[in-house]
Amino acid sequence: MSEDIAFWLSYLTNGKHLTWYASFQFTIFAAVAGGILAVVFGLIGATLKNSRYLPLRLIGTFYSSIVRGVPDVLFFLFFPLAFEQAVEWIWASQVCTPEMIAAQSAAWPPCKAANWILTTPEYLILASVSLGLVYGAFATNVIHGAMRSVPHGQLEAARAYGMSTGQVLWRVQIRQMWVYALPGLSNVWMLIIKATSLLSLLQIADIVLWADRLGAPNFLPAVGLVHDDWRWRYYLVLFVFYILVTLISEKGFNALMRRAGRGMLNEGHH
Amino acid sequence: MDHFFAEVVYFAPAALFNIYFAAASIPLGFVFAVFLALGKDSRNPLLSRLSRGYIYAFRGSPLFIQFFMFYSLALSLNISVWKPMGISWFVLHPLFIGPLVLILNTSAYTAEIFHGALRAVPRGEIEAARAYGMSWPQQFRQVIWPNLIRLAWPAYTNEVVFLFHATAIVYFALPVIGQQKDLMITAKELVERDYNAFMHFSIAALYFLAVSLVVFFLFGLVYQRLMRHMPSRPRMRFAPKWLR
Repeated sequence: MSEDIAFWLSYLTNGKHLTWYASFQFTIFAAVAGGILAVVFGLIGATLKNSRYLPLRLIGTFYSSIVRGVPDVLFFLFFPLAFEQAVEWIWASQVCTPEMIAAQSAAWPPCKAANWILTTPEYLILASVSLGLVYGAFATNVIHGAMRSVPHGQLEAARAYGMSTGQVLWRVQIRQMWVYALPGLSNVWMLIIKATSLLSLLQIADIVLWADRLGAPNFLPAVGLVHDDWRWRYYLVLFVFYILVTLISEKGFNALMRRAGRGMLNEGHH
Repeated sequence: MDHFFAEVVYFAPAALFNIYFAAASIPLGFVFAVFLALGKDSRNPLLSRLSRGYIYAFRGSPLFIQFFMFYSLALSLNISVWKPMGISWFVLHPLFIGPLVLILNTSAYTAEIFHGALRAVPRGEIEAARAYGMSWPQQFRQVIWPNLIRLAWPAYTNEVVFLFHATAIVYFALPVIGQQKDLMITAKELVERDYNAFMHFSIAALYFLAVSLVVFFLFGLVYQRLMRHMPSRPRMRFAPKWLR
């Protein structure tokens, strides 16, 4: 019995497992940064959609409907690649000489000097930005609806006080819309949490990649077969982990909604 | 421009794989979801708890993890179960296990939609049906189901579009066999070859957008038919929402 416990303790705290536990930081970082950026892009998108000028309104509408019309994973792969290439293209226009371009045999980058090598931190930031961009489109929709739910009298009163358009938007409309936006934003947050499982597609050694490595049949010459294919057990752990995160987020958002709804007239909760 | 059209044609067979995954999982997912929704609403605590837990688990975890989990589970049972039965070529094939996981996943999302609609069925109509002496199957068939499907249809359309989008990650989790590649794998391979990310991903995106629009159109027609008794028929707009 005590030998069993000792075995499991040492198994679960070996170097690879510790790296696995540490890799949760990438997932958490991507979720939090992606969530914040999604709200920022959502605010920008909703403001554009509400704009008085047709071109801005079209940009806002185009952004929110096109991004929602294609799968998140497509955007998630496309955006970091496109950003990297754009940077390399600008860089190449500065540093590449015709001889260097002629010497380059690969299709990309234009010359060897303009090669931007991305590592985990860069990929993580790009992944967060693309999460923000994709789910910002969903947040745009939520925030746009919430901004229109702010009672009209409030905006009229603010205008009557002599506030400028910007002041009405920032001090009254955006301050009051959160209560209406929270249920929708909680949904967007759940989507972002689930999308963080895709980090390994951008070569980030995240929890999914480590689960795969740890679960693969493990053979040590000294000990023999440590375990056979245990991958499903590791994925089961992740499955449960994500359900727990969803559960906790749901509880958190419910508390937040109760708090934000204090003193508000709400017909939703009888 | 010619290059663009040539590539659109090149992507067509790949789009069929995405359409196959969605089309293969929609019918069974639909039926399973009806039972799950009824289970969640059931007065039997065990049945209700089980359906509730199932729906929560599959909506609360990423589809990507679900794919990995079920595929690795099937792999680990290979030597002891599938091989002796001689069906491992079938069970482990992405074209089988892909729709299987998608069915499990979409039925949870659809059941949540149906459950919401089930609770929104006007109570008065059910009471009237009971007053007429209808049995439960009669009530369900004549009163509850017609109401439920009309209430749920717009949200269900949305779910089908997102199910189609979800097929984009099938081959990131399951092995690609030979030339059986979907839109994402095709685009990714082409990008790895010539680094033209804008072109290849745009064409894949166009396919997803086009099929989404077709789904909205077809399901809109069904909705019009469902609502044919209404004086002014409500229309459906292309507006994927955040239900998933």
